[in-house]
Amino acid sequence: MIRFVLRRALAAVPIGVLVTLGVFALVFAMPGDPLRELAGDKPIPAAVLAAKRAQYHLDDPFIVQYLLSMKDILTGHFGTTFAGADIADQLRLRIPVTLKLTLLANAVQWTLGLFFGIYAGFKRNGWVDRSLLLATLVLLAVPGLVAYFAAQYLFGVELKWFPVSGVLEGFPHAYLLPALVIGVLGFAGLARLLRTSIVETVNADFVKTARAKGLGEQRVLWRHILPNALLPVVTFIGLDLAGMFGGAIITESIFNLPGLGQFMFQAIKLKEGGVVVLLSTLAFISFILINLLIDLLYGVLDPRVRNV
Amino acid sequence: MTATGEVLLKVENLSVEFDTPRGPVRAVDGVSWQVRAGEMLAILGESGSGKSVSTQALTGILEMPPGRIVSGTAEYRGADLIQMTTKERRKVVGDRITMVFQDSLSALNPVQSVGTQIAECYRVHRGMSKRDAMKKAAEMLDQVRIPAAAKRVGDYPHEFSGGMRQRVMLAMALALDPDVLIADEPTTALDVTVQAQILELIAELQAERDMGVVLITHDLGVVSDVADNVVVMYAGHVVERAATAEALENPVHPYTEGLLGSMPSAELKGRELPTIPGTPPSLHAIPSGCAFRTRCPIAVDDCAADVPPLLTIAPGREAACIRRTSLVAKEAV
Repeated sequence: MIRFVLRRALAAVPIGVLVTLGVFALVFAMPGDPLRELAGDKPIPAAVLAAKRAQYHLDDPFIVQYLLSMKDILTGHFGTTFAGADIADQLRLRIPVTLKLTLLANAVQWTLGLFFGIYAGFKRNGWVDRSLLLATLVLLAVPGLVAYFAAQYLFGVELKWFPVSGVLEGFPHAYLLPALVIGVLGFAGLARLLRTSIVETVNADFVKTARAKGLGEQRVLWRHILPNALLPVVTFIGLDLAGMFGGAIITESIFNLPGLGQFMFQAIKLKEGGVVVLLSTLAFISFILINLLIDLLYGVLDPRVRNV
Repeated sequence: MTATGEVLLKVENLSVEFDTPRGPVRAVDGVSWQVRAGEMLAILGESGSGKSVSTQALTGILEMPPGRIVSGTAEYRGADLIQMTTKERRKVVGDRITMVFQDSLSALNPVQSVGTQIAECYRVHRGMSKRDAMKKAAEMLDQVRIPAAAKRVGDYPHEFSGGMRQRVMLAMALALDPDVLIADEPTTALDVTVQAQILELIAELQAERDMGVVLITHDLGVVSDVADNVVVMYAGHVVERAATAEALENPVHPYTEGLLGSMPSAELKGRELPTIPGTPPSLHAIPSGCAFRTRCPIAVDDCAADVPPLLTIAPGREAACIRRTSLVAKEAV
């Protein structure tokens, strides 16, 4: 087990180098000058500009800039943004926002997904099952962007059920609308995966054995079918949870939630390579950790993949 | 007919249909058999002959729909399993009548330890505590001759070999000391030496407990080794019923004859193995009259007229063939 975790951690190192290098290169390759963009229309004295450029190492070669950024990240000296905000402070303020949004959205998605998936799986071809198929197709066809703006307009601006944007109303009220939209857009896939998995498991021989043992339907369902049917879903949930950060960039920007996603969006706009790489590294580490947890959980649930 | 014990399970005129997109098909048609305490009854037939479907229907584990029991009774000590409510049947099936299936790897729950799966029988049917049930489970593993049973009770199905897994299945089926064991091709997925061990084990445990065993198989070798009586099925019908020794020495139905003829033996060494010509009929297109007539070497025009009835030709000896039953009847005169 410890060996398994260590091996995973070691394997993450080269991947981490590739990811950060790639992200940094992409930011570096973007056109435009970050400092001029920050200044807007105001003229900047050449001396100030030069000082700023030196402070952020903007005139150094690409690889030197990359290494300097990585050094800062690894030693915990995150420095300040181009606009002068302390990055460590920013992280302290922003991480809880993104966590709240992501966890709430996932809670919505899992609750709906598990409930409808299990229900549709056991009542195959019933009206819930059929509506679920239709709902999935519709939900998958709606682009997230459209859904976010539409929901914001309908429930925030017109009906005034939820705040339109911002976090002034606090948790959970300010987070409900974006979390609901993310959850509803995402639950259908989870539900269909679980439904299919249950349908496959119901026909397995060991379910027949369980029935031949004279067990009640409830016991067959909860003890024999579900523990097996949930296995592929665990993998899906892990990948999905890890992918939530990408979604947060769009959602937080639209609903003006001051989380990591919004931070990332601003950093990309300003070509702040250091911040982008820092946030990418954070996302990468959480991705690795979540997947490690999922693999460990999978081993607990399925004895066949233990000790691999 | 060695067994003279009490009739434990008596199936009469059982018919099962399946709804398919191309209309209903009859997988089991008017099948009757019975098994007594201490008797081993073999149901012999090839894939699709309805041998498994009939037992799955009467124990209530057949998927219904698409399956449907059209007629018939299956009496366990006089109580009809088919008329019972699901709740009543669960007290019999899994307790007094238990089953063993073919492929033990897929027939055992992969994410539960074998001990838990055996203990579940005691927990559900006897209301035992977890600890007592696990202790009994370990005892059962020992009874089916699994080495170091106490240590292996927490192992998972994939950690056992095929033969050992089938022993686990057997331990689970025999946990509650049932009256009737239905073994659905218990040795098919095993290699020959392990097959023999498992059959021997079943026979031994049967003798210890005086239970009735219904052995479903397509393997004549298996039948000749252990079964007291044999019921031969073809396309959903019983075509012959006899004591095993008689059926093997003196088959009446041409299908049984064909099966025996296609068994490898020392006399046939170096020669091509005889086969029954043709293939079993699709259940969508069973020939009129006798279902076997299209492959039968002695078929005549009359065979197409009616489904041949299962006629008694000697005590405990029945066959469904108008050519042979009339012949034997004439000889008897």
